[in-house]
Amino acid sequence: MPSGNTIDDNSYENHEALVVEDDAGNLEGQIIIDALQEVLVAHGLLTAPEVLKEIEKLESPGVHLGAKIVARAWSDPDYKAKLLENGKQAIGYIGITVGEAQIIVVENTPKKHNLITCTLCSCYPRSILGQPPSWYISKAYRARAVREPRKVLAEFGTILPDDMELIVHDSNADMRYLVLPEPPKNLADMNEVEMELLVTRDRLIGVSR
Amino acid sequence: MGIAAHYQRFRKGDWVKVKHLGKSGHVRIPFYVRGKRGEIVNFCGRYLNPEDLAVGNTAGPAIDLYRVKFAQGDLWPDEGIPEHDHLVIEIYDHWLSSAESSEGRQ
Amino acid sequence: MNNRNKSENSPRGYHDIGGDAAGAIPKTELPWLHWEKQTEAIRNLLGDGTRRIVSLDEMRRGFESFGAEKYKVLSFYRRRLDAMIDVLIEKQVITREELDAAISKKRVVWSKVARRETP
Repeated sequence: MPSGNTIDDNSYENHEALVVEDDAGNLEGQIIIDALQEVLVAHGLLTAPEVLKEIEKLESPGVHLGAKIVARAWSDPDYKAKLLENGKQAIGYIGITVGEAQIIVVENTPKKHNLITCTLCSCYPRSILGQPPSWYISKAYRARAVREPRKVLAEFGTILPDDMELIVHDSNADMRYLVLPEPPKNLADMNEVEMELLVTRDRLIGVSR
Repeated sequence: MGIAAHYQRFRKGDWVKVKHLGKSGHVRIPFYVRGKRGEIVNFCGRYLNPEDLAVGNTAGPAIDLYRVKFAQGDLWPDEGIPEHDHLVIEIYDHWLSSAESSEGRQ
Repeated sequence: MNNRNKSENSPRGYHDIGGDAAGAIPKTELPWLHWEKQTEAIRNLLGDGTRRIVSLDEMRRGFESFGAEKYKVLSFYRRRLDAMIDVLIEKQVITREELDAAISKKRVVWSKVARRETP
């Protein structure tokens, strides 16, 4: 049953787009996690330096690592083949340690476009790209990306030709996904650094082409 | 004690249907694919069952995991979605039954 | 066209929202705050190979079962924090009382800080 929200409640579930904590909520969050950490440390289950180190580890990946992977794949067909065959292993070859079970790299072509989502929660290749953007974890994206992906893409300014195949990947279990965007037309004139600059987070998720 | 041969039930291209298992609790198979028919895209490997892990059971068997491709038109019949659009999702072996391609599309 | 609760033999979790209608996708990028990183970090450590105290799936079960209303009103990281706490208490790793006592102490400290900072 829809919850007791009388606005629009015969049209849909009225998922709150994104719940954002206010200052009081954020302070509350900080108080609770500090208290929890203290209790866990008192139980000998954690140490404060460990937590700080883990936070640093969480902060270090980012889109720059995804860009590195894509640029390497664009410039080296052999590497690209390995990447498509076994993402985690190939990504490891260029010095990036993947924490997830496996990375499936899905290739965009002139005939095919890929879009990634996680309808059940927010699964994302965090050990490579860091934290997902707020919109990726929003209920609006999770609910709509599987059912009306073309409309979702249009909201990001991406219009696909009618005859292009759009494949949505719901990241629901042990795999994590990266989109391999199409290379630029003047690839032959570029070095890897220039290629990396073309790779954005939105292209790696698939909301941009 | 011998090691039982691992029998992988499905191969790429096989037609399968997602079962209605009637399970409550933590499952990773969304409602929108239950009862739907799709095609095996690849075998992902064997992983511990999240349904077990969710209740702290790390001693259960590893389960075959597949990526299964569905026609969007089959998942959302009223949306007017292009025939060539698809959705791919990971489904554990125990949620899958074989579906003959001659059954025709839903 | 709401067949969300259409009968089939399984209940559908309130987190299982793929295919539901929803409004525009919010584009505002939110900062990732220290308490949120700390929450992730602690969950990662508790779930690691040396501890195995709260796994990702246990945490997910946590927020999938604390009720639709709570799921609806809590932010993403607050859901994970609350779920992690529920699992820790359920598994008797910590008690609600000792956590509440620690929270009360922290609140006192923070309110003193706030009072000092307001002119």
